[in-house]
This record gives sequence, C-alpha cells and structure tokens, in this order.
Amino acid sequence: MSRHCSRPLLFVACLLLAAAAQAANVEVQLLDRNGQPLADAVTFLESAAARAAVKPAPGIEIEQADKRFTHRVTVVPLGSAVRFPNRDKVRHHVYSFSPVKTFELKLYTGTPANPVTFERSGIAVLGCNIHDNMVAWVVVVETPYFGQSTRSGQVRLDDVPPGSYRLRAWHPDLPPGAPALDQALVVGAQGGKASVRLPV
Amino acid sequence: MPAPRQRLSTRIVALFLGLLLLVQLAGFVAIGASLDASARATLAHDLDVGQRIWQRVLAQKSLALTQGTTLLAADFGFRSAVATSDADTLHSVLENHAARIGANVSAWVDRDGSVRAASLDTQGPDTEAELRRLAADMAQRAQGSQVALLGERAMQLVVVPLKAPLTIGWLVLGFALDQALAQDMKTLSGLDLVLLVPGIDGLPRAIVSTLPAAMRSNWTHDDGERRSLGGKLMQLRSVSLGAGAPAQAHVVLLRSVDAALASQRELQWTLLLITAAGVLVFGVGSVFTARRVTTPLRALTAAADRLARGDYGQPVLHQGRHDEIGHLASAFDHMRVSIAGHQAEVHNLAFLDRLTGLPNRASFRNALKGRIGSSEPAGQLAVLMFGLDRFKHVNEVLGYAFGDRLLQAVAGRLAAYGVRGDDLIARLGGDEFAVLLPGADAAGAQALALRVAAALEQPLVLDEQTVDVSAAFGIACWPQHAADADALLSRAEVAMYAAKRKTVPSLVYDPGIDSASAETLSLLSELRRALEHDELRLYLQPKIRLQDAAFIGVEALVRWQHPSRGMVPPLHFIPFAEQTGFVRALTLWMFEACAREIPALQALGVQRVSVNLSTRDLLDLELPQRLQQILQRQGVTATAFCLEITESAIMDEPQRALEILETLSANGFKLSIDDFGTGYSSLAYLKRLPVDELKIDKSFVLAMEQDEDDAKIVRSTIDLAHNLGLSVVAEGIENASLFDLLRDLGCDEGQGFHMCRPLPAAEMAAFAERWRMARQPQPALVESD
Repeated sequence: MSRHCSRPLLFVACLLLAAAAQAANVEVQLLDRNGQPLADAVTFLESAAARAAVKPAPGIEIEQADKRFTHRVTVVPLGSAVRFPNRDKVRHHVYSFSPVKTFELKLYTGTPANPVTFERSGIAVLGCNIHDNMVAWVVVVETPYFGQSTRSGQVRLDDVPPGSYRLRAWHPDLPPGAPALDQALVVGAQGGKASVRLPV
Repeated sequence: MPAPRQRLSTRIVALFLGLLLLVQLAGFVAIGASLDASARATLAHDLDVGQRIWQRVLAQKSLALTQGTTLLAADFGFRSAVATSDADTLHSVLENHAARIGANVSAWVDRDGSVRAASLDTQGPDTEAELRRLAADMAQRAQGSQVALLGERAMQLVVVPLKAPLTIGWLVLGFALDQALAQDMKTLSGLDLVLLVPGIDGLPRAIVSTLPAAMRSNWTHDDGERRSLGGKLMQLRSVSLGAGAPAQAHVVLLRSVDAALASQRELQWTLLLITAAGVLVFGVGSVFTARRVTTPLRALTAAADRLARGDYGQPVLHQGRHDEIGHLASAFDHMRVSIAGHQAEVHNLAFLDRLTGLPNRASFRNALKGRIGSSEPAGQLAVLMFGLDRFKHVNEVLGYAFGDRLLQAVAGRLAAYGVRGDDLIARLGGDEFAVLLPGADAAGAQALALRVAAALEQPLVLDEQTVDVSAAFGIACWPQHAADADALLSRAEVAMYAAKRKTVPSLVYDPGIDSASAETLSLLSELRRALEHDELRLYLQPKIRLQDAAFIGVEALVRWQHPSRGMVPPLHFIPFAEQTGFVRALTLWMFEACAREIPALQALGVQRVSVNLSTRDLLDLELPQRLQQILQRQGVTATAFCLEITESAIMDEPQRALEILETLSANGFKLSIDDFGTGYSSLAYLKRLPVDELKIDKSFVLAMEQDEDDAKIVRSTIDLAHNLGLSVVAEGIENASLFDLLRDLGCDEGQGFHMCRPLPAAEMAAFAERWRMARQPQPALVESD
C-alpha cells in the first residue's frame, strides 16, 4: 500500500517522523462486556503515518506443542514471514481458509522450509487438519504500534508519535469474522490513554 | 296306543342337548370374548412395539445421517472448497458431496444465516425456496435433525456446523423418507407402513407404502382405528414423524386384524368341532338313555292298556331289570295277576247262579249272543226254556229252604240226564231254567224237552218228602224266530207261558201265540199319551144303602176316550196296565180325579168314594205317602175314601201288602176286600187285615136267584162279615128282586145296573136328583139310561 503513497502523503509522513522524534506512550485499558479487565486482547493504532512506518518483523514463529498452538493469538506487522515450527512428534497440517492469508502446510514435522508471509492486514484463523481442536489466530496489522493485553487488561504502546489514530481492539472471543473494534484516538505529546470495552 | 303329544324321550333328548348347547355356547362366548380381547391386546401391543421401532428407526436414521453429514463436514477438501470457493463452485461442491452420502437435497448457510447455496435432486416450483427457508431455520438450531415436508416429500433434514476450524456456516442435508426405509421398518416390525403427506388437493397422499397394490386406497384425515383395505381388515396406528415434524404428515402403521385373529379363528373352529362332536355323542347317548327309559315305559303302557281291555294273560315285560323300571314292571305284573284273580271271582259272581252252580241269566245271554255272533250264516240253534209248575205253591207250603233244595235237585237232574256235551244249561231265575242247543232245530229241542220232562217225572225225595215236579217247555229257534239273543229269549219265554196256559208239555214259538207283543208296546205308549193328553175319563157308579135306598157312595171307574178308537172299555187296557206296572200311574190319576170330585159329591150326600188298588199298588211302599200328598193338594180327608183290594192282590206278597194296608188304615182310609169269594184267602188271614168292608163278587150275586148254593154263599158271607164287624157291599144288582133279596139278607150296600150304570162324574148331580125324586113314591125303581 505504501507503494501508492503520494507526495502529500509523504509530507505528512515527514511530519509524523518529526513528531516521532518526540514520541510518547499510549496506555490502553481493555475491559470485557462486564467491565472486567480483558487479557489476550489485541490492540493497535492505525493511521496513515503508522501505515507508512510499518515494516515486517523478522523471526516470528507460531509454535505447535502438545497438539496445541503455543500462542492463541499472534500479532504480526504486515509483510512479516512467519515460521511454524512443530515441536510435537506427530505431524501437523496447519491451514488457513481466511481471505487474509490462505495457506496450507501439509503434514510436516519440524519447521517447514518456507515461512508464510502475511501480505494483507486482517485476521487469519489457523487450524490443523489433523487436530480439529487446534485453533490459533494471526492478526496482521498495518502499523508498528500494537500490543496484547496483559492479565490486568492493560496494553502499553511505546513511542507513539502524537497524532490522530484509529484505535483498534480485537479479541479471539469475538464472533468469528468480526473485525477489530475501531475508535478514534488522538495521541498528544504526552502520550495518550484510552479504555476499550469489548463485547466478549 | 295314541302317541303322546310330547314324548318323554324327545323331551329328555331336547333337555340334554339344550343344556349342552347352553354350556357350550356360554363357553364359546366366554372364550370368544377372551380371545377377542387377547387379539385386540396383541394388535395394540404389536402396534405399540411398531411405534417404538419406528421411532427408533427414525432416530437411528437421523443419527446415521447426522454422523454422515458430520463426517462430510469434516472433510478437508469439502471444507476447503466451501470456505474458499466462489458461488458456482460452492454449489457444485455441495451437490457433489451431498450426492456422495446419498442426500436428496443440500444447502449451505453461512455464519450470517443467509443461505448461500441450495441444491435439490428434483426441481419443483417452490421447493428450492422452501428448502432455503427450512435450511435457514435449521441453521438457527445449529445442530440436529427433523422431518420436514419438501414438496410432496418428507425429508429428514440434518444440520451440522462446518468448522474451519471455527464454525464458518452450516451444512443442511435432506434425506427423503423412502420405500427402503419403509421396507426396513416392515422387516423389523412385521407391520405395514404408509407415509402420508398432504397432497395438492389437501387430502392425505401416500407417498410411501409397503402395502400390496391391491390394498392401496385413498386416505382421509381420520381413518379411525380400523379400516378395510382391499377386503382385509387392518388395525391402524397413526405415528408422528418426530418432534418438529409438520403435523399433517404422519406415518400409519398397519397390522392385519385377520392375521392377528387367525390363531383365534383356528381355536374357535376347533371348539366348534368339539361342540359338534359333543352334541353328536350327547345326542346319541341321550337318545339311547331316553330309549332305555321310554321303551319299557311304552311296554308298561301297552301292558296297562291290555289290562284295561281285560287281557290278563300276557306277563308284563322288563321284570328282569334291577332298577325302578324293573320294580314297576314287577308291581304291574303282581297287579295283573291279582286283577285276573279278582276278575275271575267277579265273573263267577256275575255269571254263576250261587244256588245251583249253573250259569245265570246274564251268562246264558252272553253265551247266546256269542253263539249268534260267531255262528256261520247257515248255522242254527235253539233255546229251550222251562219253568217248574206250582213251584210257588211248593215254596209257600214247604218253605223257601225246601224250595231252594228242590231247585238244586232239579239242576242236578238236568246235568245228569239228557243234556248233550256242548249244550249250555242255565238257571234264569226263580223256577226258570234254559238250555242252549247249538246247531239244533225245533225238533231237536222238542226231543230234549221230552227227555228233560222224563227226567223230572221221577219223583224227587227231599227230607223224606216226595215231590212231583213237572214243567212247561217253551222253544224258540234262531234264526227262524228271532234275529238276536234277547228277542230269542223272550220268544222262548212267550212259548213257555203259552205252554203253561194251554197245559201242554212243550210248545214251539209261533207268532200266533204272541200276537199281543207288538200291540203291547204301542198300547203302552198310547196309554202314556192318554195320561198326558187327558184322554182318561172318570166314571162313577153310585152305591146305595139298601136299608133306606139312600145314595151314599160311588165306586170310581176309568174309561179311555181314545182319539181314534172312541171309548175303550177298561177290560181292554186295565189288565195290560197291571202287567206292565202302568196301573200305578193310573191309580194315582184316579185317586186325584176322585179327590177333585169329593166336595161336589159330598154336597150330594155321598159319604165315601171307592177306588180300586191293584196288586202292583200294594207292592209300592211309597203309595201311602203319595196318597197323602194328593189329599193335602186337594184338601180332602182320607175318611172320604174307601180303598178296594182284590184278594189275589193281597195273596201275592202277603207280608208287604199287610204293611201297606196297615199304614193306609192308620192314615184313615177305609179298606174293602173286592171280589170276595173268588180267591183262596183264609179267614184267619182275613182277620189280621185292617179291612172294614167285604165286597161280594157279582158272579155270586147274579147267580143267587137261580142257584141255591150261591144264595147260601152270599147269605153266609154276609153273616160272616157282620160277625167279624165288617160291612158288606154287593155288586151286580141288576133288578129289583135282587135288591130286595139282598136287603132282606142284611147286605149293607149295593151297586148295579138296577140302580145305575157307571156315569161320567159330571152327571152325578143329575142322577142324585133323579134318584131322590124316584125314591119318594117308590124307592126301588129307577130307570137307567
């Protein structure tokens, strides 16, 4: 998407870079429908500048052990190549039918040679054709500012340049296919704070 | 023997069979009801089981389909195709994979609940829309199955979620409930099955049926519990297609009632067979038993009938039995023997003369009848009858005991002499005997009469007394003289009396000696008619006191004013009336007629009316009472009457006559001895009689003018009577000299043509007047008319 950036956009990006020089932290509190702290929620900030600033993260692995995905939810920046190491002795057959990334790693042991590169933002659901109970999600974000809530439901996003953002929030317990919640957030020089309540 | 209207045997058999049938019928009904109930229970149970099997079949099918569908939904390729393909591919995948597991319809509903694809094996106008609607509904429920209607098909719809790995939508597959399922059901349960869905016309339509073609029929909404299909009665059970299924579609399970009842039918037939056999055996048995009872009863009835007919000769059957019948038969036989004995005794009493041991009159008559009845047309026989002469005299003189012994001796002689072997001798009564001579004619009978007469001629010595016995014989022959036994006997009797009258030893019957016989009967009936039709006339002959020629009495006489013969004189019917006994009625008539005239006569100075009593009257013990009744009825006293009795009348039954005369005398009647001097009455006896008057017979009076002896008799009679305190009446005074003579002899009263012949009662007054006038100047002369 960045390839389509125009000059005015470049200008804005410059502004953002300038602002980045003076970046701050954003703290987001995630709550469930009952107002209780919500763990494992994914939160990320989107903006044009952020989109411009995104770059693939290296060495991301989604590990399978004990016939489970070791992490239910993995957040990856757009364009990241993800490896799927199999720590079990049995073979796995990891697949995704999600439009974000449709792939299939047929019956393998160890780590397949070719990593899977996620080139579209969105949420992909992963399953194993051998083990129906294995479910994992890959959230592909087009921003460098993202995080996952701790057990206290808090996420701290560091070094966020001030500016206007879309604060997105998502949780695996949301209905399948449901997009991330979307709300506006203006980050000032001192950073920002937000609270998101998810219907889970 | 007339057949009884209701035979005992029939009743016994009918009763036995009726009872048996009743018992069998009750058993039949009870067993039938129980079998029917059991058959119904069996039917209901079969259908209950069928219903459960059906539900289980449906559930299992649902389970199998769900499992199949779940497996399909887990197929990676399918999932992959469904999750990633475009609409056309999706449709194609759906169709392909649904066909793999034999689904008829399939649909794919995505997470949003919108139906993304629907596939049917047949195309109908609204069926796809309906499938989509159903699929959407099913997807809401996420998992499970139900039966639903799709077009005119009943579909078992199954929904399963499709996971990749999270639920991305729902797969709905539909499987038609088909013939194979129905056949399975039939194989499992033995029941027929019809799947009914609402047709286009609204009526139930059988889309699946295990029934043979002949039993397919139209169905209605309410077919009840039983209906006949193709001539077979079926028990029905309507069963739903499971929860959520449309109410108007259902399965009908059918069980053949006939098949269920088949064993019952068989049992009933067996029962019927046993009943029939039982009735047959019972019928034969009861007929046999009834025969054993009624056959001897009939034999006993026949025996009783024989006894009633007087046939005592045949022993009663069935005496050998040891039961009640045998006892009864023995009792019957004892009765038979006993009755036979009694009968013989009675017969002896009835048909034997006790005195002589000879057959009596009845016996003789029977024998005669028997002979005449059984005789050949050319046959003949003769009856010889005889009576002993002067037997009454013997009785009177030598006593009745002697008379009896005499009869016994005569009987002995008859048996000893001159009677052939098959001749029958009988004592008819009194001194009369008769001999029946079969095959004999008059000459033969006369020959016998001579022999018997000769046998009797030898004097009999009884108690050292020698008695001469003679007899008069009458003979009558059959068939010359009479056609029947009674007539023959009476002819013989007529001949015998004729012989006695003519004093000849024997006489053969001749119609000439019996001329009166036919006349007699007609005379008797005419006399009766005369009494009823008032043809008799009372005539009175005045009695004159000779001393002063006063008219003081009358003698009553009767005349018969016959409608055709004119006036009949008394001699023509009085003797006959005496013979037949009719004279008693005549006497009473006379007495009553006189009683009526008494007031008029007394006015003329008549003191007494004389009425004659006959021999018969004197034997009638009721006579005094009858006379008293007439006196009371007419209001006159007995002293106005004098009753005249002939000597002979008294002498026939002296003792009884004396009794009656004493009664009459005591009642106030004066009594007179009529025709005195003609009989043999002894003075000693006369003295004992309560008589007041003697009447000298006119034969003496008429003769006394010529015959000195008669005059002496009259004179001495008058003296004798006066000495005994009796008055004397003379009859037959026909001229004045007799009148004077008798008056001079002291005779008290007289009657005769000289004074007056008998006149009708009505002319008495005229006579009295004439007599009184004639008497004034010259008392002895009166002109008679």
